[in-house]
Amino acid sequence: MIKLFNYAISIGEEMLISGAEVHRVEESITRMCRAFGAARTDVFIITSSMVVTIHTPNGETYTQTRRVINSSTNFEKLHLLNDLSRKICQKAMTEQEIEEKFNEAINCKKNSFFLEFVSCAAIAGAFTLFFGGNLTEAAISFFVGAIVKLGIHFCGKITQSKIFDKFLAATIATSLAFIAVKIGWISSVDMIIIGNIMSLIPGIGLTNALRDLFTGDSISGLLRLIEAALIALSIAAGYFLVAFLGGFAL
Amino acid sequence: MTTAEIIQILSGFVGSMGFAVLFNIRGKRFVAVSIGGLISWLLFVILSKFISNEPTNYFIVACALSAYSEIMAILLKSPTTTFITTALVPLIPGGSLYYTMAYAFQGNMTTFLQKGIYTLQLAAALALGIIVSSTITRIIHKIIKQKTGLL
Repeated sequence: MIKLFNYAISIGEEMLISGAEVHRVEESITRMCRAFGAARTDVFIITSSMVVTIHTPNGETYTQTRRVINSSTNFEKLHLLNDLSRKICQKAMTEQEIEEKFNEAINCKKNSFFLEFVSCAAIAGAFTLFFGGNLTEAAISFFVGAIVKLGIHFCGKITQSKIFDKFLAATIATSLAFIAVKIGWISSVDMIIIGNIMSLIPGIGLTNALRDLFTGDSISGLLRLIEAALIALSIAAGYFLVAFLGGFAL
Repeated sequence: MTTAEIIQILSGFVGSMGFAVLFNIRGKRFVAVSIGGLISWLLFVILSKFISNEPTNYFIVACALSAYSEIMAILLKSPTTTFITTALVPLIPGGSLYYTMAYAFQGNMTTFLQKGIYTLQLAAALALGIIVSSTITRIIHKIIKQKTGLL
């Protein structure tokens, strides 16, 4: 039974890592534990930590904490885990079946680096057009987006810090935009930077933060809000750094 | 509809697709999310013909798109977050955030504050729209459960 509870907690943990909201994870864990025969389940989750206490029908209690350090949005994994937790609640599954499905979800198919690389570039190019840039600006933005992605990819392996990553990305994007202006391909850096900012800014983080706050998960909401604010500041810092050092007129 | 608006709608669509790839959304959900990205800005452009206040438009579009996301979540049996976060990408106020930053750099306090508050207004309108829609969905869920006696 304890092994089954362990699975319930692990499924919840992986859901949280792949981008589920806090109250959804709390609900899923509670439901799964109930399906496994828990008399009572107390779950408390914030974005970086989980505490789960399970009371078995014969009076034993079982508590576990998990520290959730990094998160990377992966909706395919979330979909598979969500499916698994639904199935567990609907019918009794054997331990082996659960393990198999769980591993399947963890090792789900991911897009190749090349495809991610191209889509990063496409996002930058598309949003340059979106905010009113012309075709030259969009083309430059496309290449800048690609270089930014490469930069994050290689430095992210060393730093492991989201905030530093965004700072670096903003620095690269701004310097390349200024260089393009200096060469004379474009007249203003605005559109290039806006296009590249779109994939960096914590718009999703901010929306999730406000949603968490409104649904009553105040601590998670505040944590996400602070994270979003720090990311926005680090983007601005990257931009300021280049603009000051370069001494270009804006 | 002007050419600029059509370009905006199409590039918002491409942007949403790009984010769907980054977030590893596959199969039918990828199609649903991309269409969501397309209609979010289409709706915004149509609404802006009638309502000139941008935050209000953001709020309405966010409401509509979260309703779309909730429906897709039920049809495709996947968490709502998947659809909302990706379909609403064209509405992220990246442009106005950038100008906030640029004005701060120029030391232009008045315009900086104006733009900054405006950016916050847009973000708040977006979040509020999502919350209103998801709250209504939750109430409907509860009513259906009570009526069918599943509770």
